[in-house]
Amino acid sequence: MHASLCDLITDLVQNSFEADATEITLNIEETEKNLNVIIADNGKGMSAETLEKAKDPFYSDGLKHQHRKVGLGLPFLFQTAETTGGTARIESEENVGTTISLNLDPSNVDLPMFGNFATAAVTLMTYGFNGNLAIKHSVNGKSYEVSKNELAEALGDLNDLESLTLLKQFIASQEEELGTL
Amino acid sequence: MAKMTLEQLRELRDSKKMEMTQRDGEEKAARIVIGMGTCGIAAGAKEAFDAFLDELNSHAVKDTRITQTGCMGLCFSEPTVEVIVPGMPRVIYGNVDGKVARRIVREHIIEKSLVSDHIFDKPAADIIK
Repeated sequence: MHASLCDLITDLVQNSFEADATEITLNIEETEKNLNVIIADNGKGMSAETLEKAKDPFYSDGLKHQHRKVGLGLPFLFQTAETTGGTARIESEENVGTTISLNLDPSNVDLPMFGNFATAAVTLMTYGFNGNLAIKHSVNGKSYEVSKNELAEALGDLNDLESLTLLKQFIASQEEELGTL
Repeated sequence: MAKMTLEQLRELRDSKKMEMTQRDGEEKAARIVIGMGTCGIAAGAKEAFDAFLDELNSHAVKDTRITQTGCMGLCFSEPTVEVIVPGMPRVIYGNVDGKVARRIVREHIIEKSLVSDHIFDKPAADIIK
């Protein structure tokens, strides 16, 4: 299991980058009773058969690393849900996209800490993929939304130090408003 | 900090750009590539990312790019980071926690001397083409 939910979310959104998605949405909704994460993309998707295999930690399609025999991203997702009394679901269709929904109980003692979402958001926005990523984070009714396209329009090259620094300040100011920092 | 708008972000960026155009003809001081695969994330690559950002800013090292990549095939030594500084060999560093990230900025990028105890000279065999 990842040490923080932000680490898990980062890992899962990266799957969408690697599926060549052009539109990705990450929606996190936190209330006192519920922690809901939905990641939806229009990437290449998986067949039902591949999806079933991908849930096995000892499966990898072998495309990225020829001799590798493990793939831990999705198994971490299901492990997190199963060990904390939550639910995780994946729906995927080839050439249409994939949607992951994760529903967790914030009061469960086994739930990993949430982690620093400002850094997670900055690393995701600046990962260097071609598509757009729209993030919505809401905590007890307060929320903000931001997309990679509008950030790139405001900042230009997202990967230079000045942009990264401003981007982190920007996201941190939104998170502060939600009361997470 | 008050909630920043996209408009304010754009203005801040434009004022920084004016500063940047005054330093023309300089090469990029450094390129940093952080391995952010499942293994890198689990080993704390985000802490390294934050430390790089913070240390570069505190030493006012400007012309630098930080990018990310997936797993470099060195899962046993995550977080791994590739550092490219003009006039120096390209180096892949392993076990880069926040402290090592700060050392890389001070020793490698500013003082131009390698952080020898964290060097991996090349990626693992399964990703060399």
